Amino acid sequence: MTSLRRFLIISVLSALMLVNFIAALHGYRSSMLEAESLFDQKLSEMAAQFAAMPLPNEESPPSADDEQMVFQIFSGEGKLLWRSVHAPAQIISEVPGFGEHNFNDYRWRTLSYLNPNTGRRVVVAERVDQRYRLAESVILESIVPVVLVLPVAGILIWLIIGRGLSSLGVLAGILRRKPTDDFGAIRVDGAPVELLPVIQSVNSMLSRLSASFERERRFSADAAHELRTPISAIKMHLHNVRDELPNGSDSLRSLTKDVDRLAHLVEQMLLLHRTTPDHYPAKFEKISLPGLARDAIAERYADCAAKQQTIELAGDSVTVDGDRFALGILLQNLVNNASKYTQQGGRIELRTEVKSSEVWLTVADNGPGISAEAQSRVFERFYRLGGDRHSSGVIGCGLGLSIVEHIAELHGANIVMATGLEGRGLAVSIVFPAPLRSDKALPPSAKSKKALGLSGEGEQA
Amino acid sequence: MRLLLIEDDESLAQGMLTALRRAGYAVDHAATGANALRFYEAGQLDLVILDLGLPDIDGLSLLQALRKIQAGIPVLILTARDSLSDKIAGLDAGADDYLTKPFAFEELLARIRVLSRRSGPLREAEIHIGNVSLNIASHEVQLNGEVQKVSRREFAILRALADRPGQVFSREQLEEKLYSWGDEVNSNTVDVHVHNLRKKLGHSVIKTIRGVGFILGDSE
Repeated sequence: MTSLRRFLIISVLSALMLVNFIAALHGYRSSMLEAESLFDQKLSEMAAQFAAMPLPNEESPPSADDEQMVFQIFSGEGKLLWRSVHAPAQIISEVPGFGEHNFNDYRWRTLSYLNPNTGRRVVVAERVDQRYRLAESVILESIVPVVLVLPVAGILIWLIIGRGLSSLGVLAGILRRKPTDDFGAIRVDGAPVELLPVIQSVNSMLSRLSASFERERRFSADAAHELRTPISAIKMHLHNVRDELPNGSDSLRSLTKDVDRLAHLVEQMLLLHRTTPDHYPAKFEKISLPGLARDAIAERYADCAAKQQTIELAGDSVTVDGDRFALGILLQNLVNNASKYTQQGGRIELRTEVKSSEVWLTVADNGPGISAEAQSRVFERFYRLGGDRHSSGVIGCGLGLSIVEHIAELHGANIVMATGLEGRGLAVSIVFPAPLRSDKALPPSAKSKKALGLSGEGEQA
Repeated sequence: MRLLLIEDDESLAQGMLTALRRAGYAVDHAATGANALRFYEAGQLDLVILDLGLPDIDGLSLLQALRKIQAGIPVLILTARDSLSDKIAGLDAGADDYLTKPFAFEELLARIRVLSRRSGPLREAEIHIGNVSLNIASHEVQLNGEVQKVSRREFAILRALADRPGQVFSREQLEEKLYSWGDEVNSNTVDVHVHNLRKKLGHSVIKTIRGVGFILGDSE
């Protein structure tokens, strides 16, 4: 993960250092040039002095202890008249003017000067390392402040960049806190111009997203209408044909069953689509679970009555934060499943209870139940127990529990499967999180875990 | 008994016309809102079956228009729109009942019977439940042709259940029926009346669903 702040600080500091060093280098060079001309001037003055001064007769050094500076004085004929004690005996430079030469293990700056009046040649030399010592101090002087100031500059840049990037943080915060179903445009007060294109893009994306969600939502309503009407027409005509053929026919009976299956599949697919947590417009409210369970039983009672099954409701009066329509569908699906797979004359029980501050809604039966390994697969779409060999006569499409799972997820609830009534059958429980806490916005994306009541979550199927 | 079927899907309308006529109803059919208004204004209707998705006018607006012309005729909405808010909007707009597609024709017939009983001209004054019959006008109940004495409240409960065979009524719903008759209701009033009805008309006349409520039994 690259950090914009770190990148900016490192690159700004590097650039700052580079610029500073270039400036220091430039300062060093100009100081050196200036110093050199000063030194050279000193050399010229000395040479002029030596050229004009009267000479002592014998060869004797005027100052023996000056190792930094030497001189030679020659007559017009080239005879060495005088030299300092460290100067070599041969002439250092015959070329008039400044130059550099090596002798006595050092490099020297030299000036050879010919006095046109007396014909006397004077050579003065000064050690170059003298000059380097000066250069060192110049460099130190120009670089030390840069190095010392760097941490201060770093802190300042850190703060400035932080302030500059703060609106980015504000934007991130706004986006993070935005509810998943809120497609309203975002506004960042005092956003810099650089951020405006981002905000505009996000807003235009939000509005396109909102439009496509709206289309998704409308799709199920439109599809419902477009599919239900022809199915109704087919059922109507089938009803009429049955009237016209009092003895019926095998084909007619198959057709009736197939149409019922088709109608069921269409309804379940619509529901599955509609209850997808991402685009289900849930309206959460306090809902009495026993009341809802009563409605679901009333709605599905005909199925149970047709199989002489007893169905009853027991348990506490509990409320949950939920969406009425979705929970109604969930209950009807569970009751429908229980009734479908439980034998003639079987028993179905709905329970609502509070266990360790969680709300449990259970639909249990004394039917055949399902094996542990099948329990982990029943939530897969279109999965049906026994696959294609699914017990004949039971209309289904394998979407019921996927719908149940969607709706549980919508409520942040878990699904628990266990053994049903009388030590047999199946019990499916929807476990709602503790109702009293007021974290009202249940994360719709919170993936509900399928905590399986029985052991063996294995996928060896 | 004359019905007006307002449905724009030609095939569904034809199927329903055939079935309703076989069931003994005289039926007019309108495929558009404009046509429906013409039939409605011509009068002589006992019940309207209304599809909400019409080509020329929104079903709910049509419903309001019909109500303005004549308020007393019961309207049953028959639609593919099944959301709770659609149902509430339909009933608020003045519909008497709401049935979603796809439907079982028997269910439609049952609802038509209930609506026509409710709306007055008492053409179907008798409800038969196996060997029990209720006379809605005289509040008389007969078991195997013999008149049984039932109280006003017992009759109210039995009628509520008989109006909707196959529907489960919670205790609260039945209590509401009694309230609407202006009676005072105690917590076990309904149970007492159900108990009495069973004693008079046979145990299977009303079935109990534990924890849920009551349903009309399939008494023979």
